Amino acid sequence: MKRLVSLALLAMALPAAPALAQSTATGNVAIDGRVAPVCILGDPNPALVNLGQLSASSGPRTGKIATITPQTVQLPASFCNFAGSVVRVTATALTSSDTSVPQPGFSRAVNYTATATNWAAGASTATTNALRDGTSPTASGLGSTQPLPKIADIALTLSNFTAPGDLILVAGTYNGTVVVTLGPAAVAD
Amino acid sequence: MMKRLTLPLAALALTLPGVALAQATDTSTKTVGIVGTVPQMCFAGTLTGSGSFDLGILIDTTTGQLRNDLSAPAQMLVGSFCSSRSTITVSATPLVAQDFTAAAPNGFSRSVDYTATASGWTTTPASFTTSAASNPAAIQTRPTAFTGDIAVAISGFATTGGSSLRLVADEDYRGLVTVTIAAVN
Repeated sequence: MKRLVSLALLAMALPAAPALAQSTATGNVAIDGRVAPVCILGDPNPALVNLGQLSASSGPRTGKIATITPQTVQLPASFCNFAGSVVRVTATALTSSDTSVPQPGFSRAVNYTATATNWAAGASTATTNALRDGTSPTASGLGSTQPLPKIADIALTLSNFTAPGDLILVAGTYNGTVVVTLGPAAVAD
Repeated sequence: MMKRLTLPLAALALTLPGVALAQATDTSTKTVGIVGTVPQMCFAGTLTGSGSFDLGILIDTTTGQLRNDLSAPAQMLVGSFCSSRSTITVSATPLVAQDFTAAAPNGFSRSVDYTATASGWTTTPASFTTSAASNPAAIQTRPTAFTGDIAVAISGFATTGGSSLRLVADEDYRGLVTVTIAAVN
């Protein structure tokens, strides 16, 4: 009778302990990915700024540069997805398509200031300083660094149109460009 | 004299009936009980291949938004088994930027949701969507013991917060899929 009791206890103990220890199993699969640093400028609107006639056609400033209203170009939904970005503005003066050296008293260049705002605390500004013969037409400037990822409409304003020495402008078609660059502050140059 | 000898033999037989029966046959039967158990056991298998989902670059670099063609080969948990009726449960965590830990600025997100599925164990795969408030399909039951491979797959990627958001740059976005098989009574 004593032996029978011992067998019964053993039979009860066996199913309990090991079954609980291994009745659940887990597998983990990790997922990895990365997001590259990217900056994208919105398409400029308008893509071409037409200033119309640059010189005054009457009055005491006839032939000299007229008063030109500041022009604004929007670069909508421009963004950088990382911290530490900056806008650089590189402006090239308007110069006449006639590349010959102008006669004394005349200029074939029109200078201006290009300013990009709404990115960081400090705007990016460049003022051209071309000579009357159109040489040295390019200037550039950096704004302050944007410390966070940002998406915004960058506004580029062209203003302060002047002719070197306020000389009379030679007739012709004038062209200039503004290049806006958005990128990491460390390599913006 | 003969009669006197017979009587003592009969009396002996009457007083020892058990001995008399044992001597009547050459076969004896006894029953011994045998008790054993097989515990409920599960094994989640061995992860094959790379052992992880490497999605590479998550964004379309022309827009900064999540790629719409993200995919990765399924990962296999080979040789999984449960020795009894079981459940399979899948859970997952979103892909989250590990270095950019601050709140994402307006217009940006630092997280990607997706759906993880574990198939091969039950008729209906267990699935878990990281953006869902609840995931009733995350646990499925198999009525019988089973051994086989479990395929773990991820799909349906979406930027947390909305598809128009851009993802902040980060070299390390990480998520985790966990598959659990458990014996049940």
